[in-house]
Amino acid sequence: MSGLPILVVDDEEEFVSTLVQRLRKRGLSSEGVLTGTAAIAKAADSDFGVVLLDMRLPDMDGALVLQEIKKIRPDSRVVILTGHASASEGEEGIRNGAFDYLIKPVEFETLLEKLHTAGNHGP
Amino acid sequence: MKMYTATIPGSAIKVRSRESYYARQKRLFVLVVILVAIIPLLFISWTASHFYQKSWLDKTTVELTSLANSRREIIDLFLDSQENILAGYAELYDFAWLNTPGNLEKLFKAMNRQGVIVDLGLIASDGSHRNYTGPFAEHLKDKNYAEAHWFAEVMQNGKYISDVFTGFRDVPHFIVAVTDPTRSWVLRATINSELFNSLLASAEVGPGGDAFILNRQGELQTPSRLEITALSAEEKNILATGGDLTIHHAQGYLYATTGMKSNDWTLVLKTDIATSLADFYRAQKRDHLFIACAALLVLAVSTTLVRSMMDKVEGADQQRMVLYDRIRYSEKMALIGRMAANVAHEINNPLQIIGDQAGWLDELLDDEDPAQLKNSEEYRTAFAKIRNQVKRASTITHRLLGFSRSTDGLKTKININTLVEETVSFLEKEATNHRIAIRRNLAPDLPEVLTDTTQLQQVFLNILNNAFDAIGNDGAVTISSSVNEGQLAVEFADSGPGLSEEALKRVFDPFFTTKKAGSGTGIGLSISYSIVERLGGMIEVRNGKQGGCIFRVTLPVAP
Repeated sequence: MSGLPILVVDDEEEFVSTLVQRLRKRGLSSEGVLTGTAAIAKAADSDFGVVLLDMRLPDMDGALVLQEIKKIRPDSRVVILTGHASASEGEEGIRNGAFDYLIKPVEFETLLEKLHTAGNHGP
Repeated sequence: MKMYTATIPGSAIKVRSRESYYARQKRLFVLVVILVAIIPLLFISWTASHFYQKSWLDKTTVELTSLANSRREIIDLFLDSQENILAGYAELYDFAWLNTPGNLEKLFKAMNRQGVIVDLGLIASDGSHRNYTGPFAEHLKDKNYAEAHWFAEVMQNGKYISDVFTGFRDVPHFIVAVTDPTRSWVLRATINSELFNSLLASAEVGPGGDAFILNRQGELQTPSRLEITALSAEEKNILATGGDLTIHHAQGYLYATTGMKSNDWTLVLKTDIATSLADFYRAQKRDHLFIACAALLVLAVSTTLVRSMMDKVEGADQQRMVLYDRIRYSEKMALIGRMAANVAHEINNPLQIIGDQAGWLDELLDDEDPAQLKNSEEYRTAFAKIRNQVKRASTITHRLLGFSRSTDGLKTKININTLVEETVSFLEKEATNHRIAIRRNLAPDLPEVLTDTTQLQQVFLNILNNAFDAIGNDGAVTISSSVNEGQLAVEFADSGPGLSEEALKRVFDPFFTTKKAGSGTGIGLSISYSIVERLGGMIEVRNGKQGGCIFRVTLPVAP
């Protein structure tokens, strides 16, 4: 793991807060936001190693958020979370710069593994 | 016979009522064409024959009129001349001269240049026959006419012409008698009426026609050509004696009658309309035959044309209906797909949270003092159960999402065995209910096919549904897959009764169904056929060697 914090972006507050708590419990620094705007602002403020990004956000399209984050932080690994069991949305995200994708509902262990892979990948 | 056609729920096309609609239209068109073509034909034929008949009647009437007039004039003239000649001699010679032997012979010879006079007699006012010249001298020499009707009449009127009679002379004749100016004696000639006969015989009244003269009593004065000896009661009624020229049209004959000899006699000319019109009737028969042929031709041509036209219309309509049904069906599937996707998506989020919370609680449990926790294991089991149920629910939502994804009409690479399994999973419950075993004979390591999963799944569903319908209860469906020369084949063999020869031929026809009315539209297999065709594959049906029937779907292997 690069040591850089993880940013969790999802409109479900209950999902975000629990996930952040569980990550922190494992010594992984992490923050959670509920909107795309907040996510972009956060990324502008500080560097994140991995961004877990839900594609369906209340204020803006997940794809746009992905694009903005990659603009601000090209080195950040974005892992897409999608409610659609459709590979196409995730694959499209990968084409647009995402590191990988996960389909909800996802087991915490799988999620953790994916975050580790993303964090250890790269420079 | 069991039923073998797939049903798409909701595609209720009223095939039966449409069929009778086309039949009705066919009948109507044929009727209209026939009426339009044949009525003018009949009308022309009728007017032509009507006018011809009428013009023939007019022409014949004119001819008959002129013939009757000319014959009447000739006969009247002849009678007048005989009477005048006799009257002239009666004035010229006196009784004594005529009574002198040899003189009457001289007179007879002079008069009889035409050869129509039979004999000549001189009768005194007391009725006694004084002189006679002719072939019947022996017979008439001493005859007294005082009591004779004609004698009384000639003495009173000065002249007399009798009706025709045969008498002992044995030839038809009549007598012309005149008195001298003082009415003291009578000169009488017997005239052969053969002349009338020949005059009438030469009258052109056509075959079946007749010409004769009647007296006031309606007795024939000349022989009938048709050899009748007396008039029928009907003819007597029609042919009023005497009078001016009249034309009667009765009993299939045309009659011309005219009074002659001061209306004592009536000349009758009679033409048989039917015989005279024989040529016309022959022509008319030809016409009728021609019209019948033309009508038959019109009937045949119009029926054939209308039938082929309506068949085309019906075919086009059916194609349109199949297309319409297919579009409606895929629209419905797409809608269901979208709804399923939304529902699944909405459920996935809470599922994620439930699972996460259970996991979180499980983790937090690690921080607790096990000594303080009486039911620690129970908690852990409960959390594990929650997470298992979340996993179970998520496989359902994933399947729903998978279904919706496949309704977007995109072609994806799939393993056909997986699709078979998935399709079968939809029908497992029904199979169990009807005690139908589903046996799989799937080849392992099949290459993938690039195809529209939903559409292909629909085809498999249709075939399986039909197989289930054919089996009813207790039976088996065997699904086999294989690959050969770049073609992947899936076969569905059922243990049903199989299909008849006719049904095998028509099973993919639109609206063909062996199900009873109302339970199948007969469109499912036809849609399946076009789907497989569109996917570049083939669908075939045959009866199995062990009974039942086998549907075989082949598809090209993905490049």
